[in-house]
Formats: sequence, C-alpha cells, structure tokens
Amino acid sequence: MTESVWGPVHQDMCALLTRHPEDVPAVVDQLAKLQDVLERIPPLMDGNPLADFNRLYLRITTSVLERLYEGRFADPQFLSRLDVEFAARYFDALRSFGDGSSGCPRVWSVLFTRMAGPDPRPLPSAAAGVNAHINFDLPFALVTTFDHIGSDPVDDNDQHLDYLQINDIFAEAIPDLRRGYLEKWQLLLDTMNGDLDDWWQGEVVEYTRNVAWRNAQKLWACRHDLASTAKERERLDGTAAALGRLLLSPLGTFLQ
Amino acid sequence: MASEADDTPLVGRADTLDKICHDLADTGPGGTAAVFVTGESGVGKSRLLREVAARATPGRTAVLTGACLDIGDASPLHPVLAALRREDRGFDTDGPDAGALLDRVSRALREVAGDRRLLLVLDDLQWADRSTRQLLLYLLAGLGEVRLSVLAAVRAESLQGTHPLRRVLAELRRLRSVRVVDLSPLDQAATRELVTTIAGDTLAEDADRVFKRSGGNPFVAEELSRDLRDGRVELSDTLREIFLSRVDELPRPAHEVVRAVAAGVEPVPHDLLAAVVPLPGDELIAAVRAAVAHRIVTSAGDGYRLRHRLVAEILEHEVLPVENAGLHRRYAEALTGGDDHARLALHWQRAGERERALPSVVAAARAAESLYGFAEAHRHWTLALDLTAEDDPGRTELLGHAAESAHHNGEHQRALARLEELAARPDGPGACQIHLRRARYLAAAGRSATAETEYRNALAVPGCTPAEKVTAAAYLAELLLHLGRYADAGERAREALELAEQLEGSTADRVRASAALGFSQAFRADPDAGLAVIRQAVAIAEESGHPDDLGCAYLHLAELLTGPLNSLEEGVLVARRGAARLAEDGVGRSYQLRLLAIAANGLFRVGQWAEADRMLDAAMRQRPSGADAVEILLARCRLWVGFGDVEAAERDLDAVATVLAGGGARHVLPMLTLRAGLAMWLGRHDEARAAVQRGLTETRSDDLVLLGVLAWHGLRAEAEAHSGGEVPVDRSAIRRLTVVVERMAKGVDSAAPPVRAVIDGYLDLCAAELSRIHDQHDPAVWARAATAWDKRNHPYPAAYSRLRQAETLLHHRRRAAATAALRAAWTTAQSMGARPLAAEIGTVAARARIALAEDEETPAPAAPVAESGELAALTGREREVLGAVAEGLTNREIGQRLFISERTVGVHVGHIFDKLQVRTRVQASRVFLENRAA
Repeated sequence: MTESVWGPVHQDMCALLTRHPEDVPAVVDQLAKLQDVLERIPPLMDGNPLADFNRLYLRITTSVLERLYEGRFADPQFLSRLDVEFAARYFDALRSFGDGSSGCPRVWSVLFTRMAGPDPRPLPSAAAGVNAHINFDLPFALVTTFDHIGSDPVDDNDQHLDYLQINDIFAEAIPDLRRGYLEKWQLLLDTMNGDLDDWWQGEVVEYTRNVAWRNAQKLWACRHDLASTAKERERLDGTAAALGRLLLSPLGTFLQ
Repeated sequence: MASEADDTPLVGRADTLDKICHDLADTGPGGTAAVFVTGESGVGKSRLLREVAARATPGRTAVLTGACLDIGDASPLHPVLAALRREDRGFDTDGPDAGALLDRVSRALREVAGDRRLLLVLDDLQWADRSTRQLLLYLLAGLGEVRLSVLAAVRAESLQGTHPLRRVLAELRRLRSVRVVDLSPLDQAATRELVTTIAGDTLAEDADRVFKRSGGNPFVAEELSRDLRDGRVELSDTLREIFLSRVDELPRPAHEVVRAVAAGVEPVPHDLLAAVVPLPGDELIAAVRAAVAHRIVTSAGDGYRLRHRLVAEILEHEVLPVENAGLHRRYAEALTGGDDHARLALHWQRAGERERALPSVVAAARAAESLYGFAEAHRHWTLALDLTAEDDPGRTELLGHAAESAHHNGEHQRALARLEELAARPDGPGACQIHLRRARYLAAAGRSATAETEYRNALAVPGCTPAEKVTAAAYLAELLLHLGRYADAGERAREALELAEQLEGSTADRVRASAALGFSQAFRADPDAGLAVIRQAVAIAEESGHPDDLGCAYLHLAELLTGPLNSLEEGVLVARRGAARLAEDGVGRSYQLRLLAIAANGLFRVGQWAEADRMLDAAMRQRPSGADAVEILLARCRLWVGFGDVEAAERDLDAVATVLAGGGARHVLPMLTLRAGLAMWLGRHDEARAAVQRGLTETRSDDLVLLGVLAWHGLRAEAEAHSGGEVPVDRSAIRRLTVVVERMAKGVDSAAPPVRAVIDGYLDLCAAELSRIHDQHDPAVWARAATAWDKRNHPYPAAYSRLRQAETLLHHRRRAAATAALRAAWTTAQSMGARPLAAEIGTVAARARIALAEDEETPAPAAPVAESGELAALTGREREVLGAVAEGLTNREIGQRLFISERTVGVHVGHIFDKLQVRTRVQASRVFLENRAA
C-alpha cells in the first residue's frame, strides 16, 4: 500500500486517528473533526461515500450524546461504553485501512476503496456504512461492552431497552432509509438467496439492529473460544460485505 | 542438544527493540511499566520478546518468562505459576480469598527479584485466562509492591473480535506507563536485508519476490530465503506447503516426534515425549535431533516446542484423526496421576474417551475454584455437563455447580438456563429452593420485577420450610430497598424477623433483614428506630461470631451512620471497631477493608485528615485487591487532592484506572470527580470540564447526589476559568450544567429526607458558583452554602464557601466581615492540612492585605520581589498596581483584583506616575517591564 491511501488528507487522517476517544463527548468531537477532513477529499470535496456515512454517523452520535445529557437512558454507563466501543471499531477500520495492514474488515474496505470515485448517490453510500457498522461492528461492540461491565445480553433488561432506544434515533436521522427505499430494497433482495434474504424483512435498521443483538448473544456464548469467534467474524464480514458491495454497485442507483 | 538460540540476526527491528527497552525502564508514578507488542502471527513478536529479555543485565533485572496456552481451559494463573515453578518457587495455593492468593504470588515474585527489578515476559497473552489478566492489572497498579516491567505479546488477529484484552488494552494505553507497540511486517528494504543475511548475495528480483510472497512477514520470508539458499525448487507457494515438504523430508522416527509434539501441550518434557513416542532412548534422541536440525522443533530446558505456532496450526490438519486420538490417549495415560487436571482433561477429550475425561474435568473445575478462577471453573463445569449423558445421576450435582459458577461470573443468562435444567431433574432441589435461586440470579441480572415475583413465588410454595421463608423474605426486603420501596421493604423485613425468632441458625438472614429494616426506617424519617434495629443486628452477629455476619452487620451500621444519618463521628467509631473485631480473629479481610474505607471517608468528611491518612495506611498494609483496592485507593486519592499532593494523587488515580481496566463501572464516576478536583487545583479547567462531562453522560438521571457532586465540580471549573482568564469559559457546558441543576431542584422533593439534605447542600454550592460565573458578587449565597455544610459537619466545603464569601465581601469592601470569613476558613484549612485551599485563602488575604491570624503582621503582598532601579521608589502596593497596569487591566479591573475601590487605584496610579516621572500608562508599563526584565 502506498502512503497516500487517503490522498491529500492522508496525514491529517493519520494524525486524527492516533487519538482513541474514551467517552461519548470525545467520540462526537472525533467524528466532527473527521468530517472536516473527509470533506476536503477531492474531487467532489464534500461528496464522497465516506463523508456521507460519517455525516450520518455524526448526526446519530450527537443525538445519543444529547439523550445522555438529558438523562434519558436507564443505564447510561452501559450505553456510553457501547457507543465508545462501537465507534472505536469504525476508527480501527479507518486506521488499519490507512496503514495498509490486513486488519481492515472487508465490509469496510468495500466502502473505503470507493473514496476516490465521486459518488452522486449519497444515500446508498451512507447505507453501506450503516450496513458495515451495524451488521458487522455492532455485535462485537456489544459483546466487549457487556464483558467489560460484567453483565450479559439479556432480553428486556435495562440495557436492552436503552439499546432499542437507538432505533428511534436512527428513525429520526434516516426516515428515507426506513421508508421510501425499503420496498425497493426488498425487491432487490428478493432476487438474492441465502443469508441475506433471511435477515432482510421488515424495517431495515430496526431489523438489522435486532439481528445485531441476536448475533451478539450468539457471539457471547462462544466468546471464550477464539477459533469460533474468528469463524463467526469471518461469516459476518462476508455476509455484510456482500450487501455492502450490492449497495454500492450500479444496482444501488436503483435505490436513489 | 540444540538450544533455542536463533541463528538468524534480527533484521529491521533495531529501533523497535531500543524503544521497547527504553519504555520498559520508563516507569510510571506507581513504579511499574508495561509494553504490549501486538502483530500478526509470524511477524516476530516472540523473537522480539526474547531479544529484549536477553538484553537485561542480570545484576539489575531478574527475568521471568511465561507463555499462555491455547488449550482454552488452562488452569488459573498458568503462565505466571509455571514460570515461578521453573524457578523452583512453588508455593502453597491454599488461602482464605482471592486477594490473599494475589498477595502470595506477589511475594514469590518479590523473592525472585530480590533487590532487582523484575521483567515479566509473557508470550501469547491472547490466551491468558481471566485470573492471569487480573493478576497483571494488580501488579501493574503497584498493589503487589513488585518493581515490575511487563512485556507481553498479543496476536493482533484476536484483538479484532470480542477478546476481553481489546478493552483492557484500550483502557491501559491511556496511562503514561503503558505502551502498545504494533509490530508491522518488514518493509521491502528490510526484507531484502533478511534475504541477503540468510541466502547470501542474491539477485534483487529474487529478494523482491520473497518480499512479495511473504508480504514482509519475517517468519515466512525467512523460510522462503532458506529455500532460495538451498536451491529448492519453488513448488511451495504457501507456508503450509513449505512446511509439509520439510516434514516429508524427515526420517520416519523424527516425523513421529514432530507429530507427538504437535499433539501435546507445549512445552513437552523429554520424559513425557518418551512415554508417548514408542522408541528406544537412543533412537528417540536421534529423532529429536533430526527434527531440531530440520528446524521444525526447538528444544529448551523445560521441553520441546514446535518452532512456531504457525507450524503447529499447519500440522494440526495433517494428522489423521485416528492417529491423533492414539497420541492423545498415550499422553493422557502418561499424565494420569499427576495434578495437571486441565491438561489431562484435554488429552482424554481429544482421545475421544469422554468417560475417562470426566473425572479430570471435575478435578480441574475444583482446582480452578480453589484458585478463585471462577471463570475457568465455570468452563470446566460446562464441559463436564457436555460429557455427561442426560440420565447420568451425577448430572444433577454438576448442574448445580454450573449454575452457581455462572452466577458468580455474571453469566446471568447461562445461570438461568442451567437452573431451568436443574429444576427439571427429578432428583433436583425443591421448588422453593429453585424459586429462591432463580430470584437471586434474576436480581443479579438487573431484572428486578421478575426477581420480585420469584421471591413471592418462593414464599407461596406450600412446601416452603420456615427457614426458606425467612431467607426469601430477607432477600426480598433487600431487593425492595434497592428499588427505593422503603415501606414494602420494611414490611418484608419485619416478616422475616418475626419468622426468624422461632428459628435457630438463621443469623445471616436476620442480619440481612435487620439491615433492610433499619435502612427503610431511616429513609422513612424514623432514623432512631432504624438505628436500633441495626444495632440489634450487630448484637446477633456478635453472638454468632461468624465473619460474614459480623462483617455484614458492622458494614450496614457504619454505612447507615455515615450515610443517611450523617452521624459521622459515631459511624467512624463503629467502622473501626468492626474492622478491629474482625482483625482480632484474622477473618473477613474484604469486610475489614471496606470498613476501613468507610472510616477513612468519614474522617475525611469531618476534616480529620491526618487520622484518615493513618487509617488508609493500615488498609493498604492489608494488600487489598480488586474492588476493595479501588475503594481504598479512591479514598486515599481524595486525601491527596485535599492535601494538594499532586504526584501521589496522580499515582493513585493511575492505579485505580489500571485495576478498572479489567472492569468495574461502578467506580468510574468517583474516579472522574477526583480527576476533576485535581485538575482544578492545577488550573487545568478544561481537563476538569472533560471529566465532569463524561461523568454527566454516564450518571443515571435518578442519582441526584452524584449529579450534585458533578454539577458542582463542573460549575466550579467554569467559575474558576472565568476568574482565572486563562482557560476560556464554555458557555454550552454552563447551559448543560444549569439544566442538571434544574433537574436536581425538581427531583429533590421526592427524595428521602436524609438524601434531600445532601442534595440541598450541593444545590447551594451550585447556585453560589453560578452567581460567581455571572459576576453577581453575592455574599449571601456563599454564606448559605457555608452554613449548610457546617450543619452537616463537613468543614471542607464549608471552608471553601467561606473563602468565596470573603471574596464577594471584599468586592463590596466589607473588610471586617471578609476578615472573619477568611480567618475561619484559614483555621479550618490549616487544621486539616488542606494546603491548596489554604494557599488560595492566603493569596486572597494577601491581595486584600488581611492578616489571617490576629497576632500576625499584615502580610506583605505576594508580588513584591526585591526591586532595584527605578521601581525601588514605589511602595509594595504601588508595585502591585503597576504590575496590573502593565498587564493592560483597567482601574476597575485592578480594583476588583486587589479588593480596593476604583478611585483608590486611580490615586495609586497618580503616585506611580509622579515617582516614575511618566505621563501615560504605556510609559509606566515600559519602565515596569524593563526593570522586571533586568
């Protein structure tokens, strides 16, 4: 990999990514700074797939932070840890992509490699990022968070209810994702077989976030077994990457 | 026999090596340091570890090396205990609790080190069990008092998933004494150097091909270079093919040795290998020699290993299952009778002999429990269940163990699932027991409503014995208390106590019920009755003499007194007596520590800081670990912040952060308030702000006391930033803090009376800080805060409030009142040893020219230093005014700073102009600056 993975903003990106935010205010700050850098990537400056995703992510995390300040979560400690751990995986993916090391999940590479190309379709790009982040990162982030706070993913406890609140935030941030595009996505996915079809019913984000919760429970059960978690990781990465590719393919235009 | 020494020089890592050696010596405030090396397999982590260890000077550094095993269910603390055993430092693992075990391990490490520094080198840390991770954090926090540097290698691949080390490293890397080094593959130039070193002069294109094929991975590059040197045809494109062709070249007996080592748990001692490989002695040695010569196996003092884990992973897939089972059976047979149950269990299992595996699995579970490795024990119990058929009569007992160990580990879901299986067993415990346990598990999982129902179900079961009823009612009372339903809690507690009257031996339940009743009454505004009930509980415990009963009862009484009742002096007495009582019998270490922490915190609040310091010293001598250690360290750090001992405070905060890296969310918030408090004394208001912000986002909205502490810290940081002028004030932070204060004010009325009093105190402080931010100079709000804290007998916040009150009084030029307030604050701060507070009082007094002690001379103002030249003609006060003029302040601002009127400032400025013979402020400033610079 050459030194200019991120083009002219490579140095700024690398400098920014040496920071490891440890709380939600710091995560929001990092995402905001990242947005500034991403919007300086030529040729379109403010319109590349990653900037589109990052903008959406910044918006959602800012809403989470507001709710934390408003005291609207039953277990804010859990939710804060989750938010930080969740974001760390996005930053890690960016970092390893920038280093050219092998650690970058495929599902993220799919989006990152399209950085240079101007993409006139912000929505599928944002959706591809959401896909990587929710379908791949989230279950792992959930497991490490639970492990750290000494609890486990139990349905209907405070933490689960807090977790579900995030769905509302997504709904506010991306109403279009939830509605207009859904039928079309459904149609598209109907033409596919296997895994994708199984977890693609109902409302996109809510549904996939539930899938993430279920996947976290599955991972939780085998988290001491490094070989099985690696296998599970591989599987999730593969499935999510396939969807990501689809979203960013010419077919994705169909969604716009 | 060939040693492990690498015959290839280390290439491309010189800088990394130097840096690691430097970082390992660069200890943090706690006297420890750690470097974690991460990187993909084959990138050279282990090699780097060996190089660093080899560089250590034997006279100054003792090196202890261990490796974690990938058998999943190793025994607790394996790498460290195995390393100690190699040094012939076996020790007795029996002990009263987990803390004592950590203490004994530390002692053994100290003995190995002697007066040297200890370098603990741990390879493959990703396979470390939970107890090893906790031991590491304990040692790195300085709790084991070992002068230690840790160098550990972690496979990068494992950190990408859900590995617990991921979060541990994320938390640790914030500390100054911890470095995480990511070892990347070699670049093209370094790979070329490596190729030349091994294969001699080679064509550049050959070297570049090696780089391309190996991706710069030194292990692969090295093997490819060897092929190049030996003129091997490049048939092999993958590492797998390279090694398989190597193995194929081995003579038959050597081949067998390699397979046997691959099936074993490394290191495989020679005797064990001899028992597994059916070859006569001489032939075996010749076979091992051949395997070593072909660079597949390495040999060290403690046995044989494959040259690299990658080799093991390749060979794993090449052995026929039948063959493999035979090898494992021979291993198991050879190991039978030993005490390495985990290893034995593994071999029996892989040999496919489930029945024979079971006893060793159970033994491994018990062994893990005796080492307080509950996570490991749980996995062994689970495995034992997997090995048992449904109709096996032993299954019921195993289920009980599995459920309970899961519960201890916070694996609530699994605990509940196992309990359901247990409930379905015909020979399982009775319905009432099942309900009770389910309720306990549910409560631990945070599902309070369902837990409550389960306790009620337990009480409603017809076959429920009176003893079970007492237990259920006592637990239910405790649960209701936590839910804030004080009346219901009291009712249940009474029910439990009445039932218990007629029963023998229900002391624990009676203590639990009494405590619940006591607290519920205290919260319902009948503190005396509550107190009487808990005193009764102490009496019951004293009679039984059981450490748990005693610890529990004293703890509750001390907490009630120092908490809701705010009878601090008495609470401290009780806590000390309880700790002493347990110490007499040498039991209940954890209770003793918690009681000492309560006593110290009480003493801190009443302002007897020296005494609190002694108390915490005594506690630290008991070598606390885990949550106990965090409590003690936080209490001590609070003292350091008060004393103004920045270095010690930072050391203890780092130690707390280190222990908390292993988990423990409950203690994060107190840590954040201390961080904020410390940052404020250091003038780092932005750091204080960040700590408070994080605290606010992570505090439950119904925890008004904690919100109060945080809001006060936050507003104080903004107020100090406002008056200091160096750090800009954050308006949005003030807005958010104001919202929090409003929320507190709204919620305070529905809080229990004892809690209300505390919240009110913080509301007063917040209101006063807000008035400071808004330049209202209102002495009344500060006076109110001072009185409120006086009434609660907390001199520290009271003295602080008086200082601020004095400032506002001086602003209104009410010198007499200001003098009284300052002197009162000064006396308090002095007697506590609160140096930063005293210093600030001193500064304000000096600026206003107020003598702090009545018999004291009016102090000289802070600014004047021996002056020469043109400034010599000025009085001290005039020099102070001139200094302010030179800073560009207006007369009005100077007046505010020096607590004199604007007009007086004007008079001073006039005199200054005359004496210096200047006509403008700029000229005067220039004279000032020129003379200062000289």
